[in-house]
Amino acid sequence: MTQPVAPQLTAVGDRPAGPPDASLRPRRARAGRRGESLAAYGFLAPNLVLLVLFVAVPLLWALWISLQATDGFGTGVFVGADNYVRLAEDGRFWRAVVNTTLYTALVTPLAMGLGLGAAVLLDGALPARGLFRSVLILPMAVSGVATALIGVLVFDENSGVLDGLLRAVGLPDVPWQSGGPAAFASVVLVTLWWRVGFNMLVYLAALQGVGAHLYEAATLDGANAWQRFRHITVPMVGPASFFLMIMNVIYSFQVFDVVFVMTGGGPQDATSVLVTYAYENGFVTRDQGYAAAIGVVLLLLTLAVTAVHWRTSRTRDVTE
Amino acid sequence: MDLTRRRLLGAAGALALPTFLGGCGGFSTSSGDGDAAGGDSGTLTVTTWGTDSELAGLRAAVARFEESSGARVALDVVPYEQMFSNVDAQIQAGNPPDVFRVPYYTFGSYAGRGQLLDLSPYLEDGFADRFTPQAWAAVQSDGAPYGVPHHTDTSAILVNTELLGAAGITELPASPEEAWTWDQLAEVATTLRGSLPAEQYPFAVNWQGNGVTRWLSWLFQADGRFLTEDLSGPAIDSAAAREAVAFTQSFFTQGWVPPNSSVQSATYSSDSWYAQTVAMVWGGAFLVPDAEATLDFEWTATYAPRKVRGGSDFGGNALVATAGTPRAELAAAFLASVTEEESMREFCAGASLLPTRTDLVEQGIEFAVRPELSPVFVGQAGVVLPEDSGQVASPDMASIITVLQDALEGAFVGGQDVETTITAMSDGIAAAVR
Repeated sequence: MTQPVAPQLTAVGDRPAGPPDASLRPRRARAGRRGESLAAYGFLAPNLVLLVLFVAVPLLWALWISLQATDGFGTGVFVGADNYVRLAEDGRFWRAVVNTTLYTALVTPLAMGLGLGAAVLLDGALPARGLFRSVLILPMAVSGVATALIGVLVFDENSGVLDGLLRAVGLPDVPWQSGGPAAFASVVLVTLWWRVGFNMLVYLAALQGVGAHLYEAATLDGANAWQRFRHITVPMVGPASFFLMIMNVIYSFQVFDVVFVMTGGGPQDATSVLVTYAYENGFVTRDQGYAAAIGVVLLLLTLAVTAVHWRTSRTRDVTE
Repeated sequence: MDLTRRRLLGAAGALALPTFLGGCGGFSTSSGDGDAAGGDSGTLTVTTWGTDSELAGLRAAVARFEESSGARVALDVVPYEQMFSNVDAQIQAGNPPDVFRVPYYTFGSYAGRGQLLDLSPYLEDGFADRFTPQAWAAVQSDGAPYGVPHHTDTSAILVNTELLGAAGITELPASPEEAWTWDQLAEVATTLRGSLPAEQYPFAVNWQGNGVTRWLSWLFQADGRFLTEDLSGPAIDSAAAREAVAFTQSFFTQGWVPPNSSVQSATYSSDSWYAQTVAMVWGGAFLVPDAEATLDFEWTATYAPRKVRGGSDFGGNALVATAGTPRAELAAAFLASVTEEESMREFCAGASLLPTRTDLVEQGIEFAVRPELSPVFVGQAGVVLPEDSGQVASPDMASIITVLQDALEGAFVGGQDVETTITAMSDGIAAAVR
């Protein structure tokens, strides 16, 4: 739509400049705006209903269950904050919190860093670039359980591929199942294999939005590759980083299948995370109130981390 | 006609609608063995998991029942991993299956919480006599039967005869009375440890995950108990238990078992035997068909060790009816029919499992695969005493399993001493049954 006046740089959403018709405009505008709001809510309604039904209702229900002592059969007994008091005194719960936090602290920066590195490398002109990208993204299509089963085959300390290779080159065996730190490392490695593709995908998309002229200007000013990366690439993909940080943290707090299949939480709780501990309490010993309490604590932790990140991120809305 | 976006979306929607509606109609989580809804009052719903050979035996038993009673049975097969979350969700939603299959160590958590049908009013007099005492004891809760013992399985020792021959061990026990004592087992293990290279081990025990109940076999061999006779408190603070913990702990310190074969390991001991990482493994008869089909080394089976007496795990599954079923008599009739001689013999022989009927145990059954090994497993199962299987039927067995896992993990790989382990087990069991 062209206008007779010269186009001005206005913020998005302003109406084009023109003489307002004072008598007719306000009433039609109000009715128009109400009609627009109704239409908007109409379109949002199906999604909102699903969100309320499948997210909000179970959340509140879980909160309600966490205030009871129940085994899932029949009605539970209301015990107030008893489950939370037990949680605060439970050594195994705190071990799970420490493990989950450590896991998050390791996986998030590593996955993002490796993803960004892979995206930068695969953004330039490279032969078979499409093939490399596909190979890195493919693990995303595999379910967590299948990934973990592959991990079991690779990391088995008796007959696994990895220890076989280590032995073949004369290095000592690593006790991937019976050593605590090694078991933890094996879970982190398998997670990275699985998640780097997703991070790379998002960063690749973000990199397309970084103007080439910025790199040109920097080169002309004498910046080397590392400086260009640090001062242009990293800040310009800030929004993507913000998104990925939150997604990775949420995912890491909720990790279950990789840990459950590969190590089952062992050895001796070395890889026990919040969700595996909650699963054990909820479905093995059937103390469902306690398991729900763990779930609520998990929710609060995730919300807290997200809120902190929201406040402190300075590059989340960077545009050119 | 111009293909505008509106027309394209409209056409796509029109095409998708019947597919969507069709998907809404046929909601089923089963493999399609007849409808799982069972709304019709004459249809009995049975939920189970199973290997192909187990399911073949069950279907034959179902067909026999349908013929003799005229009722319909809808068999709902689900993967084992989903079995109990499925059943629990169905119970909580108020539409449980009429009959389902359950391992003996899980039986108590349903029976002890009033979720199962008390079969006493529906069974004929003398029904209990068809089963061995240890089998009948495994389905009791509070003195009443809440299910039928469909089959059992127990752990004998599967032996890689080539590796043992290379170490000079050629004689294996030929009867439960001749089974190795703990000292003799230690000798065998030391000999094997001497002859095997560092990355191979003498044996592995099948006590991973829920299989931690197999550790109790060692406790029973020392003639110990973990629960009092009325299942109301711990009885594990005993000399027998200390001996059992010390002996099994020595497997790890002596290098007789792979370090990653402890109770919280995620890999099964049978896999390490298939890969020839270990020369012997404790395993159930259900492993026989797969082993025969896939292994390329010579192997056989022999009896598990004894100390004061023989002791073994009463594994296997029971069939139970849910408490709220509207077809109680039909369910009870089905349970009785499935445990008739012919049905049980066909099932056990085909699936390589052990019978719970006294007459079949006395006659012996012949496995379809490696029939000469049937007497070993049947004989091993005969070593289980009713007081052993009765303790595992405790309603709190699931919590006790967790207690055992934590305590034994500490003893096996955490360097925890015997006294601390016994105390942890005793306190944990006391808390679990409270």
